[in-house]
Amino acid sequence: MHISADMIYWVQRKRWLLIAFALGAVFYLFVPSPAGLSIEAYHILIIIMMTLILILKEPIPLPAIALQLIFWQVIIGGSTPNEVGSYFMSDAVFFIMGSLMLAVAIVSQGLDKRLALGIIRITGNKTWRIVAGFTAISAILSSFVGPHMITAMMLPVALTLIRFTPKSAKSTVGLTSALLFSIAYGATIGSIGTPSGGGRNVIMMNYWVEFGSGSLSYLEWIKMVYPMVLIEIPLTILIIIKTFPPEMQILDTAVRRLSVEVAHAGKISAREIFSIILFAAVLLGWISLSEKYGIGSIALIGVFLFMAFGLVNWKDISTNVNWGVILLFGATISIGVQMKNTGGAAWLAGLSVELLQGIIPDIDTLRAVVSVALSGIMSNFLSSSATVAVAGPIVLNLGGDPILLGLSSVIASAFGYFTAVAAPACTIIYASGLVKAPDFLRAGWKMAIMSIASLTLLSLLWWPLFR
Amino acid sequence: MKKKHAQNEPRALKFLTAVSSAEYSKLTLQLGSLIASVFDAHLGVVYVGEKANEFHGTSVNLTRQNLDTWNIIHPGMEVLEWALGELKKLNSENKDLAKITFNPDHVYEEDGRVRVILPNEKGSRVELILREGELVNELRKEIQLEAYDLAIIGGSQNKRHLAHSLIQYLPSSILVLQKFKPRKKYKLLLLVDDSKATAKSVEWGAMIAKKLNWPVRTLTVSKTKRFGSGYQGAADMAKEYFDSRGIEIEQFFLTGDPVRTFVDFAGDDHFVIMGASTLNPVKQLFFGSKPIQTLKQSDVPILIVR
Repeated sequence: MHISADMIYWVQRKRWLLIAFALGAVFYLFVPSPAGLSIEAYHILIIIMMTLILILKEPIPLPAIALQLIFWQVIIGGSTPNEVGSYFMSDAVFFIMGSLMLAVAIVSQGLDKRLALGIIRITGNKTWRIVAGFTAISAILSSFVGPHMITAMMLPVALTLIRFTPKSAKSTVGLTSALLFSIAYGATIGSIGTPSGGGRNVIMMNYWVEFGSGSLSYLEWIKMVYPMVLIEIPLTILIIIKTFPPEMQILDTAVRRLSVEVAHAGKISAREIFSIILFAAVLLGWISLSEKYGIGSIALIGVFLFMAFGLVNWKDISTNVNWGVILLFGATISIGVQMKNTGGAAWLAGLSVELLQGIIPDIDTLRAVVSVALSGIMSNFLSSSATVAVAGPIVLNLGGDPILLGLSSVIASAFGYFTAVAAPACTIIYASGLVKAPDFLRAGWKMAIMSIASLTLLSLLWWPLFR
Repeated sequence: MKKKHAQNEPRALKFLTAVSSAEYSKLTLQLGSLIASVFDAHLGVVYVGEKANEFHGTSVNLTRQNLDTWNIIHPGMEVLEWALGELKKLNSENKDLAKITFNPDHVYEEDGRVRVILPNEKGSRVELILREGELVNELRKEIQLEAYDLAIIGGSQNKRHLAHSLIQYLPSSILVLQKFKPRKKYKLLLLVDDSKATAKSVEWGAMIAKKLNWPVRTLTVSKTKRFGSGYQGAADMAKEYFDSRGIEIEQFFLTGDPVRTFVDFAGDDHFVIMGASTLNPVKQLFFGSKPIQTLKQSDVPILIVR
């Protein structure tokens, strides 16, 4: 057979797909299920292994990864198509879909110019105050609306400030990094604050209910987690300023020019006011009605209202929302549920406890370490939501208090500070081309230590007051 | 899919230069423009940016759209705008090129790439393209789509670990700029053997040498002391071709390991031209080829002709 360069190229490009499926076939056909693990659970773990390889190496598009998750569950996972379908769409997936749609609706209103003006009025022109303001505003807003929306709105403000700085790009590297990381890390630390701060939070809430582990209301979540956001804000500001010392202490010219630029937007319009009111209503709905109607349904009501009042059109939503990601989350949650139902999650949880018991004899500490380490490490390679979708069922089967372990796991999944892929806010600032991959490492290890310390404090001193 | 050309229209050569930033790509663009002028070729300039993680694609796209409303353009567009400015400076005699202006809003999205629409571009012979993804894959797609004859790669893209993929998978000739110094007077070193691409290498070498007035050397290397009729015939053909164009050449016949001999002979003052390998792709994948090894081991600009 003649092998052309095109065929070699295809194999080279798709080698991780071939490796994933080959490994899956070897385990499925030749390696017996380990003792204590049912054959159904073993097959589900094989599917998860193949999927993790595909997500990490991306030899095929994400929607294709989602599709293979569905058909493998039916072909080798022992599930019926209806079973897979029933777990596919849940309130968590509604929320992910709704929050992406809301982001499109809100960002297109041009409210970022108002936001810029507001921040500058508060911070003035001192660089450290601007960095502090960016971090705090990004954290607080992202805790309610998610980091993707806030970063999309804040990045133009930061880039405009950088552009208006009367110095060359080469001589303002520290300033640029400080401003961009204040948005990215601010939005990331904030995203754990409330359930609506990120898809992963809602995935965990969904698992709690699905697995019969209890539940947390919107306000209860805030009570338990928000103190950590408040502790982390000043520490993050300190880390950013120390890691990326800005070359200029005062941004007089840049702030003045930004104010002039923003002033061109004119007075706030009725449309903008109405958008703010609508979004505030969605927030209120999340806080007061999510227990009854689900956080995802309320997000969808918000999208419906934005569309019904003509504030956003379907074309903009359908073009800008990555439907493949929604498909993938649906599929990942369905396999997560299957992992629990077949006993695969319990087996993995037991195995990790057994392996680490020699090193950490105290079972409560061990459970906490496993839940934090599993999510914290995985989230630097996968997205944080995918991490919780896969790691969640394992963590909830470790024993102990599933609410506390689940919260630890979700919080740790926001520790994706080391790479540009982990958090949407990090990916966005990386895509600006102004920060480099090593910058994430320079600041990331400090952020990770600070976050682990904050989580430890929270779990030792704050959570015992509630549970 | 390759674009179709009218059958009777003589097809001008098309060269593609990959740029990454104003800081690192100035020399690449300079040589790209120079080589394109030697061959009177169309010049495409492509910026290949990193593709955002697909998980966060929505967020990145949304942010980019929002940045547009603030008149902040894609970093790749900034590089392309700079590239157009540089090309105007380098080709100041090209009146059509001088007339065109860059507008980041005038773009056309097609086939997974963004093409900047340049007004009055008919006579300018320049195209500006933005792509996102893995470098070799995007260059390959662009070359296939527009049927480029030569890809010019250098600066920050000149990474040795990419040598294998670039040479094996790009379906055009490739010029890799390694430590290219524009003010240096290079000697053109043409590697001559019995491969199919030698004839085209000779043809291209003659055009470059004539235009740039570089002295020419041909080198034929045999593993044994005996030079077969294929090698001898190729060397004679090269001599004849250069003579017919009034270009003097020095011929060298050396014995030894071909790659090691090429690299030692080239030193740091030659501009090397060699034919692409005719080895089968599987062997190339596992064992490499003369062009791949030469590119990995040498520190001079190399043009691999396919």
